[in-house]
Amino acid sequence: MNLGPLSRLTQRGVGQQDVVITHEDVDRAHDRVRVSAARAQRGPFSKFRLLWLLVGPGILVMLGENDGPSMISYAATGAKFGIGFFLPFVILTFCMAIVVQEMTMRLGSATHRGHAELIFDRFGPFWGWFSMIDLGIGNFLTLITEFIAIRAGLGFFGVPPWAAVLSALVFLCLAVMMHRYWTWERTLLAIAAFNLIFVPVALLTHPHWDSVGHALITWRPLPGFSQDTLIIILADIGATVTPWMLFFQQSATVDKGLTTKDIHLGRFDTVLGAALAATAAVATIIATAPLFVHHMTADNFQGAEFAQALQPLIGRFGAALFALGIVEAGMVASVTISISSAYAFGEVVHRPHSLNLPVTQGKSFYSVLFLLAATGGAIVLIPGLPLVYVVLLVNVVAVLAMPPALVFLFMLANDREVMGDLVSPLWANILATCVVVFLTLAGVLFGVSVIAPKAFAFLGGN
Amino acid sequence: MTPKDKGHEAITSTDQELVLSSLEPEQLAGLKKHLIPRRHLKGPEKFVMWSLRIYLLFMIVVVIYQVWASAH
Repeated sequence: MNLGPLSRLTQRGVGQQDVVITHEDVDRAHDRVRVSAARAQRGPFSKFRLLWLLVGPGILVMLGENDGPSMISYAATGAKFGIGFFLPFVILTFCMAIVVQEMTMRLGSATHRGHAELIFDRFGPFWGWFSMIDLGIGNFLTLITEFIAIRAGLGFFGVPPWAAVLSALVFLCLAVMMHRYWTWERTLLAIAAFNLIFVPVALLTHPHWDSVGHALITWRPLPGFSQDTLIIILADIGATVTPWMLFFQQSATVDKGLTTKDIHLGRFDTVLGAALAATAAVATIIATAPLFVHHMTADNFQGAEFAQALQPLIGRFGAALFALGIVEAGMVASVTISISSAYAFGEVVHRPHSLNLPVTQGKSFYSVLFLLAATGGAIVLIPGLPLVYVVLLVNVVAVLAMPPALVFLFMLANDREVMGDLVSPLWANILATCVVVFLTLAGVLFGVSVIAPKAFAFLGGN
Repeated sequence: MTPKDKGHEAITSTDQELVLSSLEPEQLAGLKKHLIPRRHLKGPEKFVMWSLRIYLLFMIVVVIYQVWASAH
């Protein structure tokens, strides 16, 4: 057996009688045999096959984070500010996401432990529960917004809210009822690829490529410095880096069975996911930029309204694609976020937590998953709920919760006792510190704009 | 290591061999019940963690105020 960096810690006091083989182990072992076989092969297709076997968590977390509220935030960005500062800014936020998510992939591969589990074990229950409360509240609020997006997107096709929520719950059931991580991951990857549906929508608007190129290079035109701009900035950051992503990718890396040998391709998986997600995000901003040109107010748009507003410009087909994109974003994220919560719950209470588990052996895992989703879906059906405001606010809350979550991640990724030689290199630490400082300052600026508008005006805002 | 089956009849000795030859010890679901030793937090680490916790609580109050202000 190969020994990972954690061996000297976990093997202490562990006798032979403690080793129990489960179905989860057997399924994971089958996956690892295929990886080993692909790694041992020589030839032009062997590396591609290895890559195919190992990609997944990185792409899923990035495309999963291009969720309903994120796509609505990007759409609002394009409609409010057009093509300019926000195109390169969104790409920058995905670069931040790569820095952060690479650490979770490395942690998962090196320790074979989920993020919640590591925080509880290393820092104790006091800090562990703080972290779990942040995650639980954030995930639940985000889950509600996924159902809002699904409801809004399907509303474009005349589907009533209750049917939209029900179809999302049925989709969730079908997605996780495969009892095999590999099958679940491949199926969800295929569905998540539809996030790129925003690319043809953007093309249908016949964008001015000169303006796009100019914006990407010069970051101009700059938006005015106001509280609205700040909220959109925070919403766009929250659309790419959020606490649930840390927990999801680390747990999925563990569930998939990645080891230290796979870290290079794990990094590729993360960067590829970020590139795909950034493409979809930029395409969404470009797609709704014509609304800015035509001076249309999009303050209360939910997704379906964006599609309706775009219909005169891109036709019924283009508008339908946009609405479908919002539905897909909400559907995929409702699965990944529910699973992220269920993983964390299982890790903390030491109950079985794997997508390789049959329902009979993973009752608590699947119960948490469905209970959260069903409650989130039910809340969306409450009449008179200010849905649009909830959507933007959730992304803002996600940004505010990120710095404490990142400090746990930062400390774990630099913990030589659990990471061995795989601790973060200096450049990764510098980048991660920059991300924490940037997110904290953005949050502080938002706070100043709310509680001390005069001080905000003094800084140049209005 | 000698694996012990815990009542799962479908797991055969071939499965056990497969698991032990292809997974790292820490990957076994059963071994994850063993806790990783607690880390002793130093003063500066505690300071940063408490500061960010206070920051988060304060910002949540700001967000609630923002929601209240918008509603009125």
